[in-house]
Amino acid sequence: MDTGSRLTVRAYHVDHISYGQENEVTVDGTMTIHKETARELGGKEPLIRDIQIRIIRPDEHRQHTNTVMDVIPLSTKVFGRVGEGITHTLTGVYVILTGIDESGRQVCNFGASDGILEDKISWGQAGTPLKSDTLISFDVVLKEHTWADRSGPEAIHRACDRFCQIFREQMKRFSGYKCTEKHVFQETYKPGRKDVVIVKEVSGQGAVYDTRMFGVEPGGFEGGHSVIDMGCMPVIVTPNEFRDGVMHAMD
Amino acid sequence: MGLGTSMKETTLHYYRDPLVETLSEDEDVNLRGIVIVGSPDKNEDKYLSAERVGASLECMRVDGAVFSCNGLGNNHVDYAHSMEAAETRGIPVVALSLCPAADFVVQNKYMDGVICYYKALNEGRQAGDETTVLAQNTVTETDARKALAMLKLKMRKKEKEG
Repeated sequence: MDTGSRLTVRAYHVDHISYGQENEVTVDGTMTIHKETARELGGKEPLIRDIQIRIIRPDEHRQHTNTVMDVIPLSTKVFGRVGEGITHTLTGVYVILTGIDESGRQVCNFGASDGILEDKISWGQAGTPLKSDTLISFDVVLKEHTWADRSGPEAIHRACDRFCQIFREQMKRFSGYKCTEKHVFQETYKPGRKDVVIVKEVSGQGAVYDTRMFGVEPGGFEGGHSVIDMGCMPVIVTPNEFRDGVMHAMD
Repeated sequence: MGLGTSMKETTLHYYRDPLVETLSEDEDVNLRGIVIVGSPDKNEDKYLSAERVGASLECMRVDGAVFSCNGLGNNHVDYAHSMEAAETRGIPVVALSLCPAADFVVQNKYMDGVICYYKALNEGRQAGDETTVLAQNTVTETDARKALAMLKLKMRKKEKEG
């Protein structure tokens, strides 16, 4: 029997989130969000007019949202590269990235999901949080008419990734023994089975119609490459690379 | 067309993709890898990247492939052609799609494995209509199981026919 890479994912459940003077996450599931970080992150991106960071609790879904650009798990490499080694991830909390252009255009390809949050998410899908999860809303206003060039949406994703990285750095130091769940993925190729692959066709046509791969962190932006820049040529990844976050949605 | 929010696979979707988990766990198949291919803008690039998908599968000597695509419209040009590029190389394909094969903007004779996973057919909607509800029309575990079951049938049929 052939074996491939081995990936261990340790999950840490977060059950207390509040605003505070620091951005902090602890191994025992407490998180604080410093709202003022938004100004600092926005200041680094010339195309961004404003960022608001807010906590949205499960009983606060009857509120307006801009179109959802992405839902991002907070995950980080502790040992090895994406696809092997050890990853720490948070459960019970997800970053929800939303965006609008100053002109009022929602930052999406078409079919914007702006409206009342509760009605605009199909909760509990693979790509969406559970209704009982807490959301960290990262809501960005782009400068007028910058949504339609790749640089606009990229600035949004980059700013959000910098925010996520603050927590990722702290999660790297979490004790392995204190995780709430542990999953080990050992790739095996057994004789006598049919060999199959998945072919995923992803967006690669421009702004808000793009996909990024090979970020340094799981599901991360930094260090990644756009499939557009890679000429939309097929790239083969292992199942463990895929499930460890080799992709970052940009559509 | 393109890709609306109800069809969108978020980073979280990729992180726990039901297609990858279903094929990984199944005891009849070895999931050898995932081929990621961007859908390019220009028509000539669409044919080039689709052809490279076919060639990659041929080089990998796989017994079958499940295709997945989260948009519709012009990206079905390359999607349909990549199915053809695989099937003409003798590789059975099942392809998850937001609309049935008959609604593709292009047609070829290798689209018998298309499975429509569009969810919101109520309220007079047609497969592929955008609902503006995030991830409402994305691949679920049930879709993944259907696709794998159909692929197993296609692979068995091909084996019988030699």
